[in-house]
Amino acid sequence: MNKVTLSGILLAALTMAGCGDGAKSSNNDQAQAATENVKTDSASKKIVLFFGDSLTAGYGLDDPADAFPGVISRRVDSLKLPYKVINAGLSGETTAGGNGRIDWLLKQKVDVFVLELGANDGLRGIPVSETAKNLQSIVDKVKAKYPDAKLVLLGMQVPPNMGADYTAKFKNVFPHLAKKNNMALVPFLLQGVGGVPSLNQGDGIHPTAQGAKIVANNVWAILKDELK
Amino acid sequence: MDNTAIDFKRKINIPWLFRMAWRDSRRNRSRLFLFISAIVFGIAALVAIYSFKYNVQNDVNDQAATLIGADLSISGNKPVDDKLKHMLDSLGDDRSQERSFASMAYFPRTNGTRLVQIRALHGDFPYYGTLETTPEVAGLTFKKGRMALVDKTLMLQFNAKVGDSVKVGNLNFQIAGILNKAPGQSGVMAGIAPVVYIPMQYLEQTGLVKIGSRVNYSFYYKFNSSVNVDKIGKKIDPMLDKAGMRFETIETKKDNTGRAFGDLSRFLSLVGFVALLLGCVGVASAIHIYVKEKIASIAIMRCLGVKSSEAFLIYLIQIVGIGIIGSVTGAILGTAVQHLLPIVFKDFLPFTISVQISWMAIGQGILLGVIISILFALLPLISVRNISPLNTLRISFDESGNRRDPLRWLVYLLILVFVIAFTYLQLDSIIGSILFTLGILIAFMILTATAWLLMRITKAIVKGSWSYLWRQGFANLYRPNNQTIILIVSIGLSTMFICTLYFVQTLLVQQVNLSTSGNQSNMILFDIQSSQEKGVVQLTKQQGLPVLQQVPIVTMRIEQINGKTAADLAKDTTIKIQHGVFTWEYRVTFRDSLTSSEKLLDGKWIGKADPSKEIPVSVEENLSKRGNLKIGDKIVFNVQGVQMPAYVASIRKVNWGKVQTNFQVVFPKGILEGAPQFHVLMTHVPSNKVSAAFQQVVVRAYPNVSIIDLGLILSVVDELLSKISYVIRFMSAFSIITGIVVLIASVRISKYQRIQESVLLRTLGASRKQIFTITALEYWFLGSLSALTGILIAFAGTYFLAKYSFEIPYSVNILPALVLFLIVSLLTVVIGLLNSRGVLNKPPLEILRTNA
Repeated sequence: MNKVTLSGILLAALTMAGCGDGAKSSNNDQAQAATENVKTDSASKKIVLFFGDSLTAGYGLDDPADAFPGVISRRVDSLKLPYKVINAGLSGETTAGGNGRIDWLLKQKVDVFVLELGANDGLRGIPVSETAKNLQSIVDKVKAKYPDAKLVLLGMQVPPNMGADYTAKFKNVFPHLAKKNNMALVPFLLQGVGGVPSLNQGDGIHPTAQGAKIVANNVWAILKDELK
Repeated sequence: MDNTAIDFKRKINIPWLFRMAWRDSRRNRSRLFLFISAIVFGIAALVAIYSFKYNVQNDVNDQAATLIGADLSISGNKPVDDKLKHMLDSLGDDRSQERSFASMAYFPRTNGTRLVQIRALHGDFPYYGTLETTPEVAGLTFKKGRMALVDKTLMLQFNAKVGDSVKVGNLNFQIAGILNKAPGQSGVMAGIAPVVYIPMQYLEQTGLVKIGSRVNYSFYYKFNSSVNVDKIGKKIDPMLDKAGMRFETIETKKDNTGRAFGDLSRFLSLVGFVALLLGCVGVASAIHIYVKEKIASIAIMRCLGVKSSEAFLIYLIQIVGIGIIGSVTGAILGTAVQHLLPIVFKDFLPFTISVQISWMAIGQGILLGVIISILFALLPLISVRNISPLNTLRISFDESGNRRDPLRWLVYLLILVFVIAFTYLQLDSIIGSILFTLGILIAFMILTATAWLLMRITKAIVKGSWSYLWRQGFANLYRPNNQTIILIVSIGLSTMFICTLYFVQTLLVQQVNLSTSGNQSNMILFDIQSSQEKGVVQLTKQQGLPVLQQVPIVTMRIEQINGKTAADLAKDTTIKIQHGVFTWEYRVTFRDSLTSSEKLLDGKWIGKADPSKEIPVSVEENLSKRGNLKIGDKIVFNVQGVQMPAYVASIRKVNWGKVQTNFQVVFPKGILEGAPQFHVLMTHVPSNKVSAAFQQVVVRAYPNVSIIDLGLILSVVDELLSKISYVIRFMSAFSIITGIVVLIASVRISKYQRIQESVLLRTLGASRKQIFTITALEYWFLGSLSALTGILIAFAGTYFLAKYSFEIPYSVNILPALVLFLIVSLLTVVIGLLNSRGVLNKPPLEILRTNA
């Protein structure tokens, strides 16, 4: 039976159009610490909020806790650092979507804000200026609500097939933004993982659990200083 | 001739048998002609329908081939290694390759940039269909130089002209032509990013394919010899799978394009089956009556010393002759109709039906005609063995030889086996053939029972007090020499076929039309932020475009079902919830009513809810199965960090076939309004021009909004679907008309049944009007009763076909059935009256002389 008709596929794909999607989102165990639970938990621990797209959410992984924020969370626990990691990744999220969603998440206190967005903008060919504008707006909102929060920006690049011009402009958004807002910067989140088939899932863009460990190392190299 | 006693042990003199068969046929050529004509119509119907069927099937298959443009396509997103390359290079007779990827194209003249899909092509792809371009030659010539083909909407969007240049990566390409349509373009990617074709030899120089580039590698194959490509696909599939590649054939593409192809082929099988039975009805009724009429002649021959076996053979020879003549003529007529019809209706046909002589159809037609003639002649001929010379004197009052004869059953069995065998040729499924034949057998028995009941009942109720005309009219139904059973069965069966075909056709066309886009959405705007929603809607309306759907979407996950979490699932294998239910990210909407593509299966739809209580949500049927969800079950949703306790208030069935947003979970209003969400808007753009202009303004005002233009994809599919829908209507209309012709022919052969009586009545002084009334009454009864029975059987038949063969919802319209009832009834009366016209208009003696 061909229940999947063409238009069905189209629609399925519509929701898929972004950087992966339709999949696992927030790191379950931690995410429930949102609004309601904040009171009980945050008393003792500070909050690290990973705000991002499918790379943060762990799209396609058997266990979303294997995504890089999960790896970092385990490391934080093993080092007995007084932080709680919250995964607020959402597959398919663009910077515009993030800008619309950030207020919902800022209802809870944030001590370290890790921003991982832009990849979907790049894959959809959205003008670089637009991406920069949205990212700036997100940072502004965080700063306005929690001026003391430490900010970390995860740098992204788009694959070379997008064209040298676009690729270069896109890549420059992140250092520029980090400098302007005085954020810690991970130069390229997928360093050592992007473009390596064995570390990526079948779709070629989402890291495997193994890849996520390397990504976590990339982030940890910068993040560890912010958690001191 | 010598006077010695007849030698009953004499050898069979074959030439003499042939001579006798010939001599006997001379007796009444006009009558013979009538019978042959019934066979001719039956076989012509069959041959014409089969021929159309085979041609139309080929046409649609050819069209389907343009969906992928090759016999086999293989694609993956990684470069192939040497071993795989060796295998890929060994496939097919003609090969093409393509690399496709997203990139930013730059139009220097208008200084525009946007995301496009680059397709770098090498080889003669497409093998089916063409790259439809303006100018036409560009589709072929662009590969010869540094030239590109650019999607029409994209051209309009950037006001580009043929001859302009477009920059892809580091390289400028001259635009050789506008790309209007391309085979194999039904992928979604083409909807998000318009296509730009470039020759592959320049790909390297663009500098776009490097380490880290996301490139899709496609290989297209054409097979010159007729090999089973699907088998090849299955064979190499494990190897492809390992390399992360997948294959597609015309067949798999058809499967994925939806049910239209399957419906069409099932419908054509049905039509083939009906044609087969129409042929049978035409031939069988003619032969049956013909041979029955010969009983008297046989008895006379027996008086003159012809052995029963000789009589049997004489008529068998005659029948085979009639069968052959009728079938061959029928085959010629059928082929002629098949060739002439498309010419006559050329102006009305929305597409050309290819006309090729189908030897398969002709062969089947002739074979069927002859075999059916023999089989149905055997039934009465078997009893010929038992006709004693005395029958001449008795005028066959008791239908002789009607006692149980084991040979009869053998013939019945043969007929059954034969019908199943021929059905198998049409359906290609043994079980299907048996079921179909069984269905017809049941219909046949119902009709026979109806006829039998009619005879019994009329016999019981006709009273001497009735007027003579009524009495006579009714009495004709049950008196000896009646034609009740044969006419009820043949009229009933024909009506049933016509009616069933009509019903099924209506159901299918409805189904196909559901899938075509029509005024449905063909453009989707998504990732619209809440703050932009009003603006986008306004912009859409300003452009004169309809807002067909506008939905908010909130992403969430399921945290718990009845208190169980994903962690519990891992520990306890008895929980009947699939793992994916917890890991899936749900795109959820909220609204206060069901949409047209949804149907409530269970529970109660609640459109508005209070956030302080448990939230009543509606769950889609398949999700309810995967999550083992029943009405009242508790679900805790995690809406991006916020837990929302809910319960299943209703279960919905969703028609995913429509181009609109559909949801696995729907929330009521009043809960999610404040949650982070984006909006999707669907509209219908009438043309590329409008699409281009609209995309331009939207992107300028809201650069983050992504647009999927499904126009191109849908137009390819629509064209195909409209062809299929047309083919279904054409085939059913044609079959219905031939069905009516066969029906007319089978009523027409009853012409001589009533002549003798009518003439006698005339001689006894009956007026024309009286004979007219008697005949009209008899035929009206036969016609209306058999039509009614046939239609009722058709209702049941359509139900079973819809439910088990086509798997579509069953609904029938009474009105067409009513019209058909009247048509068939009146037609029967009219033909009945035409049959006796001779008697009415000519002096009795003249008729007695010519038709004795």
